[in-house]
Amino acid sequence: MAVVTSARKRVMNRMAIAAIMVIAIIFLSPLYWIGSTAFKPRSLATTVPPTVFFQPEITPFIKLFTKRVQLTKPVDPAVYEAAPWYEKRIYDGGERILRVGPNIQLSQYPNRFLNSLIIAIVSTALAVSMGTITAYGFSRFKMPGEADWLFFILSTRMLPPIVVAIPMYLMYRTVGLNDSHLGLIILYTAFNLSFSVWLMKGFMDEIPKEYEEAALVDGYTRMQSFFKIVLPEAVTGIAATSVFCFITAWNEYAFALIMTNRRAQTTPPFIPSQVGSGLIDWTVIAAGTLLFIIPVAVFTFLLRKHLLRGVTFGAIRK
Amino acid sequence: MFRRTFMSLTLGTAIALSGAFSATAQSEELTIFWAEWDPANYLQELANIYTAETGVTVTVQTTPWPDFQTKTFAEFNAKGDAFDMVVGDSQWVGAGSTGGHYVELTDFYAKHKVLDSMAPATVKAYSEYPGNSGKQWSIPLEGDAAGWAYRKDWFEDPKEMAAFKAKYGYDLAVPKDYKQLRDIAEFFHRPDEKRYGIAIYTDNSYDAMLMGIESTIFSYGGELGDYSSYKVEGILNSPQNAEAVEMYKQLYGFTPPNWGKTFFQESNQAITENLAAMSMNFFAFFPALANKASNPNADVTGYFANPAGPGGAQHAALGGQGISIVSYSKKQEASMKFLEWFIKDETQKKWAELGGYTCNKAVLESEAFRKATPYNEAFYQTMFIVKDFWAVPEYAELLTQINNGVYPYIISGEGGSAQEVLNKVSAEWVATFKKYGR
Amino acid sequence: MAGLATLHPSSRAVARGWSDLTIRNVFIIPTILFLIIFNVFPLIYSLGYSFTDFRASVNEPVKFIGLANYRELLSDPRIWNNFWVTAKYVMVSVFGQMVIGFGLALLLNRSIPAKGLITTLLMLPMMMSAAVVGLFWRLLYDPSWGPLNYVLGIGDFAWLSNADAALYAVALTDIWMWAPFVMLLSLAGLSAVPQHLYEAAAIDRAGTWYTFSRITLPLVAPLLLIALIFRTMEAFKTFDIAYILSTQPTTELVSIKLYKFAFQEWQTGKSCALAYIVLIMVLAITNIYVKYLNKAKER
Repeated sequence: MAVVTSARKRVMNRMAIAAIMVIAIIFLSPLYWIGSTAFKPRSLATTVPPTVFFQPEITPFIKLFTKRVQLTKPVDPAVYEAAPWYEKRIYDGGERILRVGPNIQLSQYPNRFLNSLIIAIVSTALAVSMGTITAYGFSRFKMPGEADWLFFILSTRMLPPIVVAIPMYLMYRTVGLNDSHLGLIILYTAFNLSFSVWLMKGFMDEIPKEYEEAALVDGYTRMQSFFKIVLPEAVTGIAATSVFCFITAWNEYAFALIMTNRRAQTTPPFIPSQVGSGLIDWTVIAAGTLLFIIPVAVFTFLLRKHLLRGVTFGAIRK
Repeated sequence: MFRRTFMSLTLGTAIALSGAFSATAQSEELTIFWAEWDPANYLQELANIYTAETGVTVTVQTTPWPDFQTKTFAEFNAKGDAFDMVVGDSQWVGAGSTGGHYVELTDFYAKHKVLDSMAPATVKAYSEYPGNSGKQWSIPLEGDAAGWAYRKDWFEDPKEMAAFKAKYGYDLAVPKDYKQLRDIAEFFHRPDEKRYGIAIYTDNSYDAMLMGIESTIFSYGGELGDYSSYKVEGILNSPQNAEAVEMYKQLYGFTPPNWGKTFFQESNQAITENLAAMSMNFFAFFPALANKASNPNADVTGYFANPAGPGGAQHAALGGQGISIVSYSKKQEASMKFLEWFIKDETQKKWAELGGYTCNKAVLESEAFRKATPYNEAFYQTMFIVKDFWAVPEYAELLTQINNGVYPYIISGEGGSAQEVLNKVSAEWVATFKKYGR
Repeated sequence: MAGLATLHPSSRAVARGWSDLTIRNVFIIPTILFLIIFNVFPLIYSLGYSFTDFRASVNEPVKFIGLANYRELLSDPRIWNNFWVTAKYVMVSVFGQMVIGFGLALLLNRSIPAKGLITTLLMLPMMMSAAVVGLFWRLLYDPSWGPLNYVLGIGDFAWLSNADAALYAVALTDIWMWAPFVMLLSLAGLSAVPQHLYEAAAIDRAGTWYTFSRITLPLVAPLLLIALIFRTMEAFKTFDIAYILSTQPTTELVSIKLYKFAFQEWQTGKSCALAYIVLIMVLAITNIYVKYLNKAKER
């Protein structure tokens, strides 16, 4: 009997594994599609049936970083011959790169990417540092109405972005923070702060109080023990929280769409705005998307042990 | 492990950032805001010449058409100085001038004799508000109108021609009126062969779909209302307008699949991907079709002006934009200097050469311009038959109301007959005008 | 204020450096103030505007019109349709995520080669920007040049421009993004089921269904509930994906209507009122949510 059961179990297991492989492939194929489109020649990006095997090329990335325009007449062969290899690729695609005097004009992508980096990093640093000390405060000291305060902090994260965006837009236009890096940094800090408090409180609660008490007995002040004992213990938690905050700020779309324009626009509203000229060039969009999601993919991989905790605001620790 | 990787990542980014920051020091810079399309790239190229001549950097900032209005007015209403100049849509002149967003250019017009160099129809449409007041708010920059691209190879295929003649009793050729347009669309509509009749605008955001409907209404002899007396009732919901909207719905029946939210890109793709025999689009989007690299069918693509209606009237919806100086800009002087340079005849000639649709009379009428591309001749003809939408400050609400009524009717047949739909929209427009005391 | 008396026992050390009370206040109060300034204050601001006919696009004096905005909104069948569409969207997308996510977790809950890698890879979509995901699904869905219809063999079925299908297409993309979230939580629940319960059931010759419904499900239920509440809230807030994928008037989510009111038609006062109606709904859901969250934590 036992033999039969285990044999049946093994078959079941095999089937489950096969099913998982199939489902995983289905789930990941859109990602594969983005990745492969970023290396396709433009003519193969929208073919039916879809092109799976092709000679990968780097042209979409050249296009991503340069400002281009449709050719209205064929290129002069002499000009073509004299052009550097990357410019030839653009000519081959029926476009030419714009120039200011002799210099090649870059697209806005590098600038938007940089904006995303600045805004995400600074707001993460602010949200996590404030969140860490606040979490420590809530974790170690009694606070009247503590549960209510924590609920209040959480509830600020639950608001639909558009609901907050309307009054924020009106406030920002009064104080002149629209379309500024600072404006978005403040918004994202506020947005991430509640998350960082909740997540860090979980990590803080896990650090035994005895460590600090021993330090206090040894003559440390409370502040010293916080910086020298608690913070080093909490580094993993801080790192995980930072990564989550970074990803949230990095990916945010609605506020960035409404609040930014020329100066502080980040990548998420910029990539859809690339859909561009007479025809959509999906290869360029895919190239921009691919570069944009690489940091997120790397972080997700590093974070894998903390994902569960992060996505539930620290409610589930495992 | 996680800890160390995290630290090195942070450090790495910090170094990268400090490097990037130091690289962004800049000299004098002007920013022009426009929608994302080829003409904006041509303008950038033109502006680069200005930069080379004067050292003033001019950047053309763009955003996709469906967001263009929202983004511009979000910036205007915040009194932001992100943009020094805006290449605003013709309908915005009312909102831009009465809202205080545009700098008045009447003196500029007088001083530089702009009226002598620009085509009068474009000045009227893009710059003057209120109508016939003589007050000017922008310099016509890009003339544009709705036109058609078609597949010459399909039209000229002898077998198709014979079959068409047998079925409809007249020769297959470029359609002269809407009835012929409909017949040809029906004739080429063969879903089994993955070939479809016609591509039209159906995007209900902003004015995309309305551009197509407007062209139809105007050619049917209809109007969208009396622009001077604000009378709408009986004009917008006239019988010929209802007929025109019905025709547009019929045409929608011959479009490729998933054609319920399409705009210029899809219209062009209909030609490049061998989907449709004819495709309505703005002339400004045709360079991509004439380019072999982006359109494998470039050699067999032809162009024609919007056909006439049953009464013989022939019109097309006006597109195109004028450039205005934003009143919140801190660089109005420098912007004026740029405009002075822009209106010069040689700049306008260069603008047309780069691919811009100049509104300069002399350039427009020149043989060189009309022969420059396969579509310039059709463009030149169309510019004499253009008509436009309301340019009142509340035009955005009018757009939403007509979209809400007509879009469901065309796409899914909701809301009753075309007449009923237009009656409803007309009542809403009347209420809107009443609300603003027109 | 309860003051020092309620502080931690180790407050005997207060003599040196800052007192615990000071530290607590310095650590907590700035955060709370910051959140009040940037979350609560704007809401008070917009509450005021919701009783006016304010339009941010014109420089006209603002008129107080009492509850007229609310009355107008609540009596407009189009707005009710927006809410109904949102509810339908939330139900479809959350149901799909729960079923697929939990199913995946059941399959994955065994020893499998490269299990860690597979789970991590499946997490990728939910870490991505919804705006970018939406943009790419637009290409996937296109019947004329996207790969999806070809792979599924459904010819030229229209997803996004079809008033009946658009909402489900948006929900499908959302399911793709977030089913792994439910899977993650379910896996945590499943791995916490004590193995000896299954062994006992096996000795009793209990059937698969019996084991599942009497042992597995009850023990995973609390975590599934958290997943359910989490996803319901998030789905209710959906803006990015839906905004980029589709603006069919018949399938307009409340958040998109709100965006249009506020930033396309500039009916600022009215949009503030609608925002408040949405806000009250969200707060109600949050309340339920926090209650269950606390319960789950106590486990």
